[in-house]
Amino acid sequence: MKINQKIFLQLGISFIFFGLIGILINNLTINLIRTGLGFNFSWLFKPASFALAEYPLPYTSSDSYAWALFIGWLNSLKVVISSLILATLLGTLIGFARTGKNSLLRLISAGYITIIRQTPLLLQLMFWYFVGFLGLKDNMFIQIKNIFNISNQGIEFSGLTFSSEFLALLLGLSIFTSAYIAEVIRGGILSVSQGQWEAFRSLGLAERKGLIRIILPQALPAIIPGLTSQYLNLAKNSTLAIAVGYSDIYAINDTIINQTGRAIECFIILLVSFLLLNLLITNTMEIINKLILKSRKYS
Amino acid sequence: MDPIVVAKNLTKSYTKGLRALDNVSLTVDQGKVLVVMGPSGSGKSTLIRTFNGLETFDKGELNILGIKVDSTHDERKIQKIRRRVGMVFQQFNLFPHLSILENITLAPVHVQKRRQIEAEKYGMYLLNQMGIDSHAKKYPSQLSGGEQQRVAIARALALKPELLLFDEPTSALDPERINEVLDAMRNLAEQGMTMVVVTHEIGFAKDVSDQVLFMDSGKVIETSPPNIFFSNARHERSRKFLNQLDTY
Amino acid sequence: MFKININPIIISYKKLRKTLFSNLFNTIISLLIIVLISVTCVNTFEWLIFKADWKVVISNLPLYAFGSFPPNEQWRPATWIISLLSLSIFTLYGPKWRWLRKNLLILWIGTIPLGLFLLYGGVGLSPIMSRYWGGLTLTILLTVCSSFLSLPFGIILALCRQSSLPLIQRLSSIYIDAMRAIPLIAVLFFGQLLIPLFLPVGIEIDRVWRAIFAFTLFVSAYIAEDIRGGLQSIPNTQIEAANSLGLNQYQIIQFVLIPQALRIALPALTNQSIGLFQNTSLMAILGLVELLGVGRSILANPEFIGQYIEVYVWLACVYWMVCTIMAVLARHLEQRMTINQTNF
Repeated sequence: MKINQKIFLQLGISFIFFGLIGILINNLTINLIRTGLGFNFSWLFKPASFALAEYPLPYTSSDSYAWALFIGWLNSLKVVISSLILATLLGTLIGFARTGKNSLLRLISAGYITIIRQTPLLLQLMFWYFVGFLGLKDNMFIQIKNIFNISNQGIEFSGLTFSSEFLALLLGLSIFTSAYIAEVIRGGILSVSQGQWEAFRSLGLAERKGLIRIILPQALPAIIPGLTSQYLNLAKNSTLAIAVGYSDIYAINDTIINQTGRAIECFIILLVSFLLLNLLITNTMEIINKLILKSRKYS
Repeated sequence: MDPIVVAKNLTKSYTKGLRALDNVSLTVDQGKVLVVMGPSGSGKSTLIRTFNGLETFDKGELNILGIKVDSTHDERKIQKIRRRVGMVFQQFNLFPHLSILENITLAPVHVQKRRQIEAEKYGMYLLNQMGIDSHAKKYPSQLSGGEQQRVAIARALALKPELLLFDEPTSALDPERINEVLDAMRNLAEQGMTMVVVTHEIGFAKDVSDQVLFMDSGKVIETSPPNIFFSNARHERSRKFLNQLDTY
Repeated sequence: MFKININPIIISYKKLRKTLFSNLFNTIISLLIIVLISVTCVNTFEWLIFKADWKVVISNLPLYAFGSFPPNEQWRPATWIISLLSLSIFTLYGPKWRWLRKNLLILWIGTIPLGLFLLYGGVGLSPIMSRYWGGLTLTILLTVCSSFLSLPFGIILALCRQSSLPLIQRLSSIYIDAMRAIPLIAVLFFGQLLIPLFLPVGIEIDRVWRAIFAFTLFVSAYIAEDIRGGLQSIPNTQIEAANSLGLNQYQIIQFVLIPQALRIALPALTNQSIGLFQNTSLMAILGLVELLGVGRSILANPEFIGQYIEVYVWLACVYWMVCTIMAVLARHLEQRMTINQTNF
């Protein structure tokens, strides 16, 4: 294609594209004027006047919307990080079981993976919440001398309380993600050549030791990118918190929209908070990846 | 009659000042077979790939079938050339998702706008010529290398080209499969097809070619008739190259 | 007379010993698992047969299948689901006539207008508003329409991202990356609450189509990346070969690049549509009464209050079944494509 032809084509396309966006924004302003809302963020500093069940930092209903949103973001972060750790541990174990020698373990882990992967996450979350936690009796179900205490209010463990909403979300997200992480781990382990297994076996290394010392370090470069994308999925999936009534960033945005009708502004806030969450995860994983590569001198 | 290919002072350099083509000039007349030989990296593939516009060049002039191309690489002229010039690659480059017959009829139907039935009829004729008409409904992955390369020749012939370019057509084949492809090429030469062939096959060059062009590091070292080139090459470097080939 | 070939038994016993009881650790784990499995099986069966009250499922079957579609018209969605099911069975086990196999794809695409016609009505059928649609029918409709629409969008986005025109390349990259960074529920929320704000006054799109539109926006970004992966894995020599045959840029895309990229991306694409099927459940929290939404509304009914386990287990089974059917169909398709490369 000739250069001026290219420029012409791009000009035409951008004309159509930005024209379309212009029409949409025009419609939006008309609609916003009609509803009498307009577009601004000054409401962020008015009192939120709704209560939150969970707040890692002090919060009362007289605090501003902005603070409520920040609390929501922290709540998201809390559930994402804790389920990330739990899912990784669980997923690694299942991934090992899936590739291990014990055929019963292989069977069980394969069954676990299909059941978890072939049912919707939302259904699983509702199951854990309504059946797993709310199904418990009001009175103490398990109680060990006031140290460990499970009820339909959640878990109390030596002074720390976890709400059943948080726990259901944690459990649901971890179990769901662990099935995917297990597949990532399995793929990584399979990517290491069979010769490496034979090599450490011929050196007389025990099976588990060889797996951890020889195979896993070589599988890591294949595993890390898969893990990163699973972590990002986990963060995105954490927005299903609204189904179990956990006040994460999406749920709080939803409440604010219902209260104030500021859908566009809240949507933008939601996008920005997700951008931040994603950046946090990708950057952390990048650092981990670099540390791993650094620790392996031969690469 | 005008020559089919005229190249004048073709020069192509890479970024580091290396020259892939260095002042290459040559002429191929109607119905003649030119064999291009040379060590790997000598620029022989680059040379024939400029003939149908797969490679650009920086200086010089090219006249293919009366269509003049210079370093500006005019798309429209190159498109015209490609419709009249066929090419066969080292790795066959058949389309794996199309059947053998579909591989052959794709260009006649969509480039030359011929009718499907007509293109299929001619395609079957070509496959018959190549001795592989029984494979028409199969897919490339089901054929041996030699068969695939014959399909590739038939695909190039389907456009009824006036010039055929061969880029090391037998290098990727098992030794016992080479002859079936060379025989097909021999037949084409006997029918009067103008061809430019990059190859290491001395036997083919001796029997079929009208001229042998020897290249090294982008330069044309010598152009001679095969009987002279193989028995009494004029240039020291050509003799060295031939000696090395013989030791294999 | 009673010569029993005992060898295979010994071999399988040895194999079992080797895999299950090779050392102490393995033996303990194996025994633990066996105990665990048996306890779970006994408990599950006991619960399934004696404890569970399946009335909440059995008496509401039409609701799960069709939502609040008028009862005397329920044969319409039923016909559609049955035709989909029989087409699946036919695809897998039907006769291998060539002419028929070639037109199977057209039959599959034809199920979409058929479904829409049966649900909407018109021409001889009484019209039914989309707000009465629901249950599995709606779930399948959302899945089928959205996957069908996102495929062409995904292809176009993938091609744009590979384009040599910088503006187009940038725009599509931004779209794809942004879409993949935000959670689906936000996109669906956009579809339900924000799309009306972007439309001119007086024009409305109904909820189901807004949901399909939002799913399409979301899924096409993922499909685009899968197809881009396919495009990138096509060797450059294919383009050279097509060039030397005189095919122009658009012909190369149409006849050489797209068909090959689709074949390479096929496993990823089928995973996307299985994921989409599961994700339609998100519409339950955004006000559509699809399969999970029906479950929620039944649980809100005082008659069935608290019967969470039965409903969720039942729904999980339905989702699992449909996902499995989709996965089996997908594998069948992949095998046909890779082994004999025939056109479907």
